[in-house]
Amino acid sequence: MNWETFLTTAFLGSIIRSIAPLLLAALGGLFSERSGIVNIALEGIIIFGALAGAVTTQLLDASLGSAAPWVGWIAGALVGGLVAWIHAVISIKYRADQVISGTAINLLAVGVPGIVLGFLYQSTTESKQVEHALPQWGLTEELTFSPPVYFAFLMVLITWYVLYKTPYGLRIRATGEHPKAAASMGVNVYRIRYTAVIISGMLAGTAGVFLSIGNLNAYTKNMSAGIGFIALAALIFGKWTPVGVLLSTVLFGFFRALATQLGGSNLLPSSLVDMMPYVLTIIVLAFTGKSVGPRAVGKPYEG
Amino acid sequence: MLSKTSKQPTVFASRLAGILALVALLGLFVFPTATIARNFSGAGTLWLFPRGIMDLSGFPPEKIPDLALAGTLNWVLAVSLLVTVIAAWRRQSWLWMAGLLSLLLGLVCAWAFTHNLGLLSQELLANNVPKRRIPYLTGGINMGLLFPVLSGLTALVCGLTASPVWMQRFERFRGILIPFVSILLSIVVGSIVVLLVQAVPADPSIKLDFAHQWYGKLDLLWFVYTTLFAPLTNINDLFQSLMLATPLIFTGLAVAFAFRTGLFNIGAPGQLTMGAIFAMLVGVYVPLPAWLLVPLGVLAAALGGAFWGFIPGVLKARFGSSEVINTIMLNYVAAGIFVLMLGSDKLPFFGKEYPLPFKSPGFEAKSYPLQEGARLQPLSSLLGLDQSGAALSWSPLIGIILFTLLFLLVRHRYRALLAGTAGVVVSVLLWSTLKIPLDNTVGSHLNTSFFIALVCAWLFAIVMWRTTTGYELRAVGLSPKAAEYGGINVSRNTVLAMTIAGGLAGLCGTHYVMGGALDEYVLKQSLPTNVGFDGITIALLGQNTPLGVVVSSILFGVLDTGGLYVDQRLDALNRDIVTLLKALIVLFIAAQGFLSRKITSPPPAVLVKDLEKKEGQA
Repeated sequence: MNWETFLTTAFLGSIIRSIAPLLLAALGGLFSERSGIVNIALEGIIIFGALAGAVTTQLLDASLGSAAPWVGWIAGALVGGLVAWIHAVISIKYRADQVISGTAINLLAVGVPGIVLGFLYQSTTESKQVEHALPQWGLTEELTFSPPVYFAFLMVLITWYVLYKTPYGLRIRATGEHPKAAASMGVNVYRIRYTAVIISGMLAGTAGVFLSIGNLNAYTKNMSAGIGFIALAALIFGKWTPVGVLLSTVLFGFFRALATQLGGSNLLPSSLVDMMPYVLTIIVLAFTGKSVGPRAVGKPYEG
Repeated sequence: MLSKTSKQPTVFASRLAGILALVALLGLFVFPTATIARNFSGAGTLWLFPRGIMDLSGFPPEKIPDLALAGTLNWVLAVSLLVTVIAAWRRQSWLWMAGLLSLLLGLVCAWAFTHNLGLLSQELLANNVPKRRIPYLTGGINMGLLFPVLSGLTALVCGLTASPVWMQRFERFRGILIPFVSILLSIVVGSIVVLLVQAVPADPSIKLDFAHQWYGKLDLLWFVYTTLFAPLTNINDLFQSLMLATPLIFTGLAVAFAFRTGLFNIGAPGQLTMGAIFAMLVGVYVPLPAWLLVPLGVLAAALGGAFWGFIPGVLKARFGSSEVINTIMLNYVAAGIFVLMLGSDKLPFFGKEYPLPFKSPGFEAKSYPLQEGARLQPLSSLLGLDQSGAALSWSPLIGIILFTLLFLLVRHRYRALLAGTAGVVVSVLLWSTLKIPLDNTVGSHLNTSFFIALVCAWLFAIVMWRTTTGYELRAVGLSPKAAEYGGINVSRNTVLAMTIAGGLAGLCGTHYVMGGALDEYVLKQSLPTNVGFDGITIALLGQNTPLGVVVSSILFGVLDTGGLYVDQRLDALNRDIVTLLKALIVLFIAAQGFLSRKITSPPPAVLVKDLEKKEGQA
């Protein structure tokens, strides 16, 4: 293998495929954190989304045919939203430490798939393969992607529009900066936070759906591989803005694709390349500095 | 103040006692009372009071134990529970007596039943039937008898809240209220999952009508949870549980230590990996005599972890970047370093390959075995339990329980000394009477590292509550701004806390690598880094106290061991049910057990007393 391998459209395709889930999850995190709720649960929500997407599609394969994965997508997003809602209830209604609540969700995501898979497929690690995965759309053979990929990039635009051009976005931002001030202007802080967290869950759920039925055709254990956490890092690196998030996920996505490409090559040990995005995150975070984020993030609101 | 003067139990307490007594009373008639026998796949022969026997196994035992005494006692128990309900309803001051009566009756009834089962077993043993073929050995009480005992205990405690002296004593236990309620809630939610996932284990020859379904489902729940806790009653399984608990104590302490300083350490998986790598490097490659090698290995493990905690500590102190993200990232980096070192014996670098000396030849990613001198002894061989004819006395356990109870309940200057002496005297006196010969020898990878963990817990307590450093760390944890204003160096303490936390997690290396907990004295791919995340659960469940961490770790060790049996014996359920229970516990603790703040953190007792005094003067 030599350098030319990396100048192919196939490699470009694989970069885009590694960006998509990161981007979806990070945009999800953006909604939640802009409203003042830390969403460390993204990792777990991705797993739930992937599981729900694969299981629903597999169960509906026979009756719905090629429409099944679309229902699977909706199911994945809804389950993601539902799990995020649990996080929201614990951290908004019961004013729990948001990091602890998120960690609990992530732990749930370790246990629940095993139980569901054991119940449905007598396995603890993977689901049955789906017959109809999401379709692949594209220009050339190598640049074909499943719909969630296009959706992810479209979401950047939508997020930007919602956040900066709609009253709802203004309220989200106000709630994240100064909830008391927002409340005094008649904003229902609780409702804004609930919806923002649920949206974030639906997006992260979609990231999971992409992994299980957009990129592969089954759910396997540990398929999230830390994407949720890297998405959080990308969110911080991108300074909590949609465009920043896009740029930082491109960077992280590139490294993830590179690591895959280098696996088995003799250029660098793949484990070393695997580490790069993580090391990069640490370095970048050190220089991004503190307090660029929403001011009220992580603080329970008592109104 | 009405409740204080009229010597009535509080409204909440009596309501709780009343509801539970009512449930127990109804439960006597609608829950299975006891299990006479149970086959391997979990189907049981049940005793339903007052209806008689129901069999789900298809092969009921030939003889049914004598149920006359237990049955009569059950009727008396029903009356006693009814009295408790009335006492609770009317908030009588004698509620505690009714509770005590139910408690004793429940225990006697349980004893009567088990005694009769034991008689049958002995009869078969005398006829030279091999032990594993005796069905009665798997029997015991069931939910129908458990609830009266629990209800009696609750009514006793709730009734005693009428007395201010006892109320003060119970105050000391308020700290365990949230973990306790969280465990209960997670058991309830876990039960729903069990019911949804697992069908009633029953022989196919049995037609499952409504009654069979009902009792079968309830028995299933009982079976799952008793199986999860069963390791407590078997010495081999108990050793296994303590072995699984050892790394949890380390990581639990690691998370708790950082928590006390206001830092969230999600980095225990990485820290334990680095600790294990360092311990392996010393254990395999440093040529030293054993008396130096072991302490050096332990130190190396701590240093490895400490280094991995130091990094996010410095980053937080110097650059203010969140330790949450950084520790998570460092987990992945540590995993990468592990694979880099042990995944291959060659290092490719731009077309060239360099040899790496760490991976031992073979398919699996593992290190070379540790030198003999660097290994920690298994506890079973230290206690002489790996020979035949060994015996173990459980009197120390009684001693520890006595010590804890006295320490918590007595209010005296020298209570530590008193309780300690009582504990030691009782365990020495009972040593030979409570000695039980072991059926089979104990072989387990439980090793000296367990004691290192206990020492760490003790040191945690000393450092945190008896030194200036600990005071500063806690001050930073409670309010960094106030601490800064009080002249405490927040940055220095942040780095210190993360470093010590990392060191604690790193000490897992002594267990896995030096103690041979990975089945061999090597560092392997199967290093269970998930234990690091369990540390978060442990720290939360233990409320960030060292004693709490040790107790919760042992609880988790027991559940993990029990989970294996659930996995084996039920077809649809697997050990992930344990993971689910753990996650639910954290979730409920995060929500403070859904308890109101009036219950979890009422005004301090001292303040209440002062207020009362002032009222009296006025």
